[in-house]
Amino acid sequence: MTKNVVVIGGGASGIEASRRLRDLGYSPVLVEKEDHLGGHLASWNRLFPQMIPAKDILKSLTSDMKGIEVFLNTEVISINRLKDSYVVKFSNGLSAQVKAILITTGFTLFPAQKKQEYGYGIYDRVITNADLEAWFNGNKDKRVTDPQVIGFVHCVGSRDEKAGNRQCSKVCCATAVKQAIEIKEKFPDAVVYCFYMDLRMFGRGYEDMYLKAQKDYGIRFLRGRVSEVSEDINGRLVVKADDTLLGKPVKISMDLLVLMSGMIAPESNMELSKMLKVLPGEDGFFSPANAISNPTLSNRDGVFFAGAATGPKTMPETLSEGRAAALEIDSYLKRVGD
Amino acid sequence: MMHERVFGSFDLFVLPFLVGMVFVLLFCLFGLLRILYQLSREERLKFYASLLNPANIIKNLKDIFFDCLIHVKLWRRNPLLGYMHSSIAFGWFMLIVLGHLETWFYIPERMELIYYPIFFRYFMQVSGTTVGGALFFFLMDFFLLVVLSGIGLAVFKRFRSRALGMKRTTRLTLLDYVALYSLWLIFPLRWIAEGFTAGVAGGSFMTVPINMLLSSFMKNPENITIAWWAYSMALSIFMFSLPFTRYMHIPTEILLIPMRNAGLKVRRHNKGYALAQLYSCPSCGVCIDACPMGLHRRSADATVYMVRQFKRANQARSLEIAEKCLMCQKCSSLCPISIDATELRLAFRSRQKYNILPDFQYLKRYLALSAEDDSAYAQAQNGQTEENSSGNPVMAVVSSIGSKVKSIGQKIMSLGSSSKEQQENIGSEKVLYYAGCMTSLTPVVRESVEKLLKASGVEWSNMDSGRSICCGRPLFLSGKMEQARQLVEANSEIIHNSGASILLVSCAICYRMFKEKYSLEGVRVMHYTEYFNELIKEGRLKVKRSALKYVYHDPCDLGRGCGIYEEPREAIERAGHLVKAGKERKESICCGGSVGSLALSYEERVHITEHSLENLTVNAPDCIVTACPLCLTTYAKQSEIKVEDFAQVLVENLK
Amino acid sequence: MVNFGYGLTPSSAVKIIEGEDKLYRKLCEMEPDVKKCMACGSCAASCTAGDFTEMNLRKLILSLQRGYYQQALPMVKNCMLCGKCNIVCPRGINTRHLIMSIQKIYNL
Repeated sequence: MTKNVVVIGGGASGIEASRRLRDLGYSPVLVEKEDHLGGHLASWNRLFPQMIPAKDILKSLTSDMKGIEVFLNTEVISINRLKDSYVVKFSNGLSAQVKAILITTGFTLFPAQKKQEYGYGIYDRVITNADLEAWFNGNKDKRVTDPQVIGFVHCVGSRDEKAGNRQCSKVCCATAVKQAIEIKEKFPDAVVYCFYMDLRMFGRGYEDMYLKAQKDYGIRFLRGRVSEVSEDINGRLVVKADDTLLGKPVKISMDLLVLMSGMIAPESNMELSKMLKVLPGEDGFFSPANAISNPTLSNRDGVFFAGAATGPKTMPETLSEGRAAALEIDSYLKRVGD
Repeated sequence: MMHERVFGSFDLFVLPFLVGMVFVLLFCLFGLLRILYQLSREERLKFYASLLNPANIIKNLKDIFFDCLIHVKLWRRNPLLGYMHSSIAFGWFMLIVLGHLETWFYIPERMELIYYPIFFRYFMQVSGTTVGGALFFFLMDFFLLVVLSGIGLAVFKRFRSRALGMKRTTRLTLLDYVALYSLWLIFPLRWIAEGFTAGVAGGSFMTVPINMLLSSFMKNPENITIAWWAYSMALSIFMFSLPFTRYMHIPTEILLIPMRNAGLKVRRHNKGYALAQLYSCPSCGVCIDACPMGLHRRSADATVYMVRQFKRANQARSLEIAEKCLMCQKCSSLCPISIDATELRLAFRSRQKYNILPDFQYLKRYLALSAEDDSAYAQAQNGQTEENSSGNPVMAVVSSIGSKVKSIGQKIMSLGSSSKEQQENIGSEKVLYYAGCMTSLTPVVRESVEKLLKASGVEWSNMDSGRSICCGRPLFLSGKMEQARQLVEANSEIIHNSGASILLVSCAICYRMFKEKYSLEGVRVMHYTEYFNELIKEGRLKVKRSALKYVYHDPCDLGRGCGIYEEPREAIERAGHLVKAGKERKESICCGGSVGSLALSYEERVHITEHSLENLTVNAPDCIVTACPLCLTTYAKQSEIKVEDFAQVLVENLK
Repeated sequence: MVNFGYGLTPSSAVKIIEGEDKLYRKLCEMEPDVKKCMACGSCAASCTAGDFTEMNLRKLILSLQRGYYQQALPMVKNCMLCGKCNIVCPRGINTRHLIMSIQKIYNL
């Protein structure tokens, strides 16, 4: 029993960490509140910049789950600290006594309807990045019907004090460029705009993707935040932004507007942080004890973090942290002894 | 029977009182002349004329009696608080009146000595065996008891203000404390002084027992004079401090009421009528609890402190306070004196000096452009549509007026039928819908209003679906009256040219501006809550009742500003169940987004919104409904439960 | 000066003399939030007056910051103070008060 480790959150880093822990000889308990594993990865279509299908990644991740106890549709109800272990109670009636807990709760997407001026849920032609991925995955969406002019709005609910999120969501710039390329492939005649504030192409191959978007796909990049969206008589969207490089405001009629919803901390982080007595930061994400030397360590013994639970991350970063956390837990458990 | 006890009807102890009284009278006289001098000629004539009007005289007397003596508004707020104030004010007033009556009754030749009625008991010996004497003794003691009970409550309130319905009280100045304590002392000292004298001068149920108690251990008659000296000194200290303290409100309010009833308005923030307002503020602190800015801490920006800074002419602090205010008007609607706090602030804002002043001449060119004939306009519009359908993105650089992209800047977009057909359709109402600037940030409002108009078969056109001209209220609230007027003119021209009979407005801020500052003859200005409620009542719009629990937020400019409380509630009741907010209607708490505040930071606004939301959700509603785009965006960003617009709620429950 | 009969085209480069613009420093004192602007252009895009004129708050702030305001300053006359920019600013700058302060301390 003492060889158990509880992993909260069945997304990419939760799965990866559980597998590594199992390989190290532990019996991880992986708790997921949804009815399937994979988190956001499960609903995404392809991953930048190599355009690898998300389902391939998920498939290889979940290919070998032997020795991992997976609780789906399950949430953590309470966590009690004993002398040097924790008793974790689950909503499925079971409980576990463990010396280590790994938090891999990830992120949620900013609810785009909160930015009322963009008209998500009001206009028929406004969708989010997640909606577009679902459409790429083959889901029907009548909002996407032969669009001639398409716009991508970066930083929806990110870098926005008014939306309650000051932080940059890190991956939306690259996602927008990726999605712009993909939709251009589907509608080669469409004109595609990206409305950005700063293009943060920080990773290897990202800049190439940006270049490809400009050169090969003719995607137009316009530096300016969209401030409002209205509908004209014909039901087309009229998007207003300031072309800050030209120095003039612009209005563009469009048939499809994609809102790049940013990453925000899940509301359940508050609940969890109270149970574990690890305070989340002002932005709602968990704060590691030392974000540089070891981002998987919390300031409480036996509590570890991995993935987007500590802030927006890319998929490779998330997976690496899952592995790092497994190693960290292993050396911790060896140190405190059984 | 009765005779004067003191030879020459004078004693040295009356001097402190006498000097104080003369000082106060001279100060008030000087203040009165100053205020009258600061009035403009027209205002002065208006004021004098109103003083001669019999109906006005009666109203003045009635208001003075109910407001200054009885404090009706405080009774409504909290009976204990009301009793405290009216017992002191009315009780003291009756003591003075009775003193004069007694003097006039027994020794009319002494009426000319202003101190005589006050110290009547000292000078006169009256027998209590006659009916008149006994009645006077009884009444005097009765009202003394009334005042003392009020003082007792006041002392209690110093320590436990919550018991009297006030969470926070005003921070007093040093002189306020001097005046306060001397006021508290006046009546117990009077009781003791009259108690000493009661043995010889007579008394009733209050003074006689005191006399017996005192004379049992203090036999020396010298004590009598000492007690009367103390009483006179307390009066004197109070009188000398009065002009420099909040108690100046006592004489000033008697001037303020006739001035207000004469219809005077605040022009300069510290001159004339405004000065009467400033001196009428009793620093009671009702505005401190009322102010939404002070919900988390004791606000130093409440109206009572503004009044203080205006009086002290502290420019820097005055500006800070004047610019911060949300102009939600909650303080003035709860103020027992009805001080026009927002008007005073507005007057101060309008005194600010700017090197660069806005100028909206460019709107004239725009209006001239819009008046071009319909065909050219329609052509431009068709051209636009073709361009759009061919798939070319229309990239319009909007800044240059007169460019060909007119459809974007179109003034009035006709929907449903061409404007020619509309012209022929005389007889039925013609609705012109003005959404306002803020609504373009909350598209759900416009969408819902248009759906409702369609559903009810009303013929309408949009006034601002392309470019819009601001209604002018934000400029007006920033004190730029002249510039606001330019916008009023431009919009009035558009409205009149449209031939509309109803101007439909969905923004509470714009609505108030159109109601108060526009003179639109032949056009009925209606807020959409009024209009849609009317359509529902007439059966032209049919809604069904859902099981949802709604709570309605009264936008400041709609509720307190224009008095519209019932119409939105009636309509929402038909679409679902309306639950109450913690405080609502006149006491509703501003959402925090108000354009009225010039200086409030975003962080400060967030706290106000938070508290306002707490107040709205006390009865666990499913949805918050508001009728102003600014409240909607403000709440939507912070609320955990659904926030919807009034029109949106009706659309969701359309039959 | 000798007149050669032809004029030189003046350089269009903005000369920025660091730290010398007293007015901008005064503006920063009155409105510390002006330093928070990240030039996203939300204000300019939603501007009511910008639909009719050259009004562009983002440009104005930048011009003032660079001490290069004579050309940009006249646009502040067009502002209707409607407050939309205040609502959309993602950095929570009190843009209305900022504009009023500019109107107070700068001269055309």
